[in-house]
Amino acid sequence: MLQRLIDALGADAVKTEPEDLAVYSFDAYTDGRTPRAVVLPASTADVSAVVKIAAEYNEPVVPRGAGTGLCGGAVPVEGGIVLSFARMNRILELDTQRRRARVQPGVINLNLSAAASPHGLFYAPDPSSQKISTIGGNIATNAGGPHCLSYGTTVNHVIELEIVDDGGNVFTTSIDHPGYDLTAAFVGSEGTLGIVTSAWVRLMRAPEAVRVWLATFDDVESASDAVSAIIAAGIVPTALEMMDKVMAAAVEAAFHAGYPTDAGAVLLIEHAGFEDDMAHYESEIARIVREGGATTWRSARTEAERAALWAGRKGAAGAMGRISPNYYLQDVCVRRSTLPKALHAVEEIAREYRLTVANVFHAGDGNLHPMLCYDKRDPKQIQAVIESGNAILETAIALGGTVSGEHGIGYEKRDAMTHVYSTSDLATMARVRDVFDPSRRLNPEKIFPSGVRCPEVRPA
Amino acid sequence: MTVEQISELLAASNREGKAVVVTGGGTLSGMGRPPARSDVTLSTLTLDTIVEDAPSDLTIAVQSGVRIRTLAQRLQKHGTHVPFDAPHPADATVGGTLAAGWLGPRRHLYGRPRDFVIGSVAVLADGTIARAGGMVVKNVAGYDMSRLYVGSFGTLAVIAQINLKTAAAPDVTRGFQMRLPEGTRARALDLLTGLTVTPAAAFWIDGFKTAVDGEDGAEGRLFVLLEGSESVVDRGTRDLRAAMGRAGVPETRIVDAGARESFERIVDAYIACVGERSITYRIPAFTDDAISRVHGMRAIAARFELRTDALIDVMNGDIIFRVSDLDAHALGAKIEMFDDALHDEEPQALVIAGQHPSRALLAVWGCDTDGIDQMRALKEKFDPNRILNPGRFLAGI
Ligand SMILES: Cc1cc2nc3c(=O)[nH]c(=O)nc-3n(C[C@H](O)[C@H](O)[C@H](O)COP(=O)(O)OP(=O)(O)OC[C@H]3O[C@@H](n4cnc5c(N)ncnc54)[C@H](O)[C@@H]3O)c2cc1C
Repeated sequence: MLQRLIDALGADAVKTEPEDLAVYSFDAYTDGRTPRAVVLPASTADVSAVVKIAAEYNEPVVPRGAGTGLCGGAVPVEGGIVLSFARMNRILELDTQRRRARVQPGVINLNLSAAASPHGLFYAPDPSSQKISTIGGNIATNAGGPHCLSYGTTVNHVIELEIVDDGGNVFTTSIDHPGYDLTAAFVGSEGTLGIVTSAWVRLMRAPEAVRVWLATFDDVESASDAVSAIIAAGIVPTALEMMDKVMAAAVEAAFHAGYPTDAGAVLLIEHAGFEDDMAHYESEIARIVREGGATTWRSARTEAERAALWAGRKGAAGAMGRISPNYYLQDVCVRRSTLPKALHAVEEIAREYRLTVANVFHAGDGNLHPMLCYDKRDPKQIQAVIESGNAILETAIALGGTVSGEHGIGYEKRDAMTHVYSTSDLATMARVRDVFDPSRRLNPEKIFPSGVRCPEVRPA
Repeated sequence: MTVEQISELLAASNREGKAVVVTGGGTLSGMGRPPARSDVTLSTLTLDTIVEDAPSDLTIAVQSGVRIRTLAQRLQKHGTHVPFDAPHPADATVGGTLAAGWLGPRRHLYGRPRDFVIGSVAVLADGTIARAGGMVVKNVAGYDMSRLYVGSFGTLAVIAQINLKTAAAPDVTRGFQMRLPEGTRARALDLLTGLTVTPAAAFWIDGFKTAVDGEDGAEGRLFVLLEGSESVVDRGTRDLRAAMGRAGVPETRIVDAGARESFERIVDAYIACVGERSITYRIPAFTDDAISRVHGMRAIAARFELRTDALIDVMNGDIIFRVSDLDAHALGAKIEMFDDALHDEEPQALVIAGQHPSRALLAVWGCDTDGIDQMRALKEKFDPNRILNPGRFLAGI
């Protein structure tokens, strides 16, 4: 098989040396098996050829963007071929008049906005990993980000996809064509239905005015009360992010972003829109957070100050190294009115398991990201993290929430799927997979519960 | 009717191979093909319960038979909305509007109806009750089944319940009408898309006289809708007037009597029929090429001596194009040939309305869609006995 791959794509596009392969055995969550080969396609035709060869040898194919996924999605758990899009990283068309761009899957998220920015445009989905994660990976995970509160997640910004299915067939989906909305089915399917080889995405016009405010609170509960109150008032700011004391202190130490270090919780609020509306929004939001017990309220005065506040937020994960040698990042989403309860429960769970928890999350969406600190050299701590992570999942479910708001199910959470969905719900999803990947060779062992092979999740 | 009853009905029909035709308010029955077979009619109109109204979460869950107007009135109490922009909202149901994949003119600003869908309960052909998503606004647990049912014309599953996120409704809605004198149209349309205060909707209209008020100028007329806070709409008004002045449009008249109502009448016009003697097409285009494409379509219609009404949704680029004749007989004699000629130029033209019996013979789904094999395979997995709305969708699905 390796020779066939080399014949098809050339020797420099096929990696088989153990030290090369090792790098592709893990992502930002976990590691798996070493793949048999890592292939670097340069075109859709290359991808199709690789998938066809893999089919002949019955080898799994695992697509991979930047490997920043947090649920083991890009990990080759059954070995096989890893398809890396590092060489398919070109912006193919930038149509500024029609405000759309066609990109290869390996384009780095931030590079697209950078290319659009001279034209007064931007690409809205902005995962905190946007400096390194790829549009292909973002599409496969339906990535969110701070600004998805008002702009929507990746699915709202994808117009058209070019897909290679498990037989190597190439086809396109478009939200503007009649027929089933296959685009929606592929976005968020984590590489289990097909491989995205190019995409038309929507660009938005840069807003005329942007304001960033910072409010502090004595504790996380009152901050989340304020978040619920803002939403309940019908105000959906562009971004509404929260950090707890532990996180704010770490970020401040790392970036000197200007966060107060003595507050129990910090809310970062952004509103973008028209200059005319800003005073009104500011006074409304300020009133709500004050009534909610905010201890301080500050408005970023300059572009530099705004950028500093955001740099701190976006760099939060990087600052974790100051707090703990290792951390586990949980991702759950709850109803926004239940945020105070959810955060209280997270605190209780951390206390029970004697773990430090740091919170930095998309509060406006109800999307929690508790980071559980541990030292991986201590097996007891690892066990505590696993158990408390599960307890947080159960809490979210009990509050009517879900087991992943934006990071995905991947390898990590596939067994938790049975906690939110019935067998028939899952079997219904499996019908879609039966169409596009009946052989289960595209990113196997992801999303669907372990041990449940296709026939069992199928209806009787 | 309960979800369980739908499940029993479908399971029994599936066993017996009976075709089930699913209907809502019937407002969009002119879209797609008429069902090829019909043994049982399943109306969702009794599924009319608001299952859960959660204004403090900015979400709401409704059964599929809830009317668009009923939902809008409920949300209005909370100062929120879901901009479906469906024709005949008093009759149209939430489920039907979504199943038909309706695309309204305000979607460039607020998003597509599908982007408000956060969860669903659907019943498959074999009676399986399948839930997807939930009541949270962000959810990536598994495939996005809810969005897959949107636009599937009831051929994959019967949508029983839809969970939606809502958004704050605009404070102010203001409408404008203007007549376009000779030589102003292209520039006016171009300037409209560049306005800083993006119009919530803008239409270039030529014809549709009985359906939509306003007088055509030499190059038709415009209707523009601004929405937002009072001060933004005021500023938008000034900018709009200035821009239209630059385009050579002498007068921009504010619609006094109900901007919203005028807007809704235009949306109704999308599917308005002239008795049995008209057929209406929808063509996805771009604002910058829409005018020339309308010219092209007019030329084809002229060859067949058909009357035309045209409308461009300026902000999204959609073209609504209606052809009609003196009577149903005259239309029937040429519509198939016209349809062929039109699709040679505009392969993506969809038929969205028309009461003439020969509508069923036209290329109502256009003839330019990739992924047909995949769609057929999907249908096969969801409804192998082809009992759900058989023949209603494209490619015979
Ligand atoms: C510091 C940090 C911050 C983060 N912040 C956010 C955040 O704010 N919001 C958020 O949503 N996520 C966030 N993430 C998670 C992660 O960055 C996203 O899931 C991102 O979308 C993954 O992109 P990637 O290019 O790294 O993809 P990978 O991790 O390489 O792959 C992710 C999944 O996509 C599949 N895939 C990749 N490319 C393709 C393709 N072309 N076709 C089909 N399938 C493909 C893979 O098989 C895998 O299942 C963060 C991660 C880190 C490390």
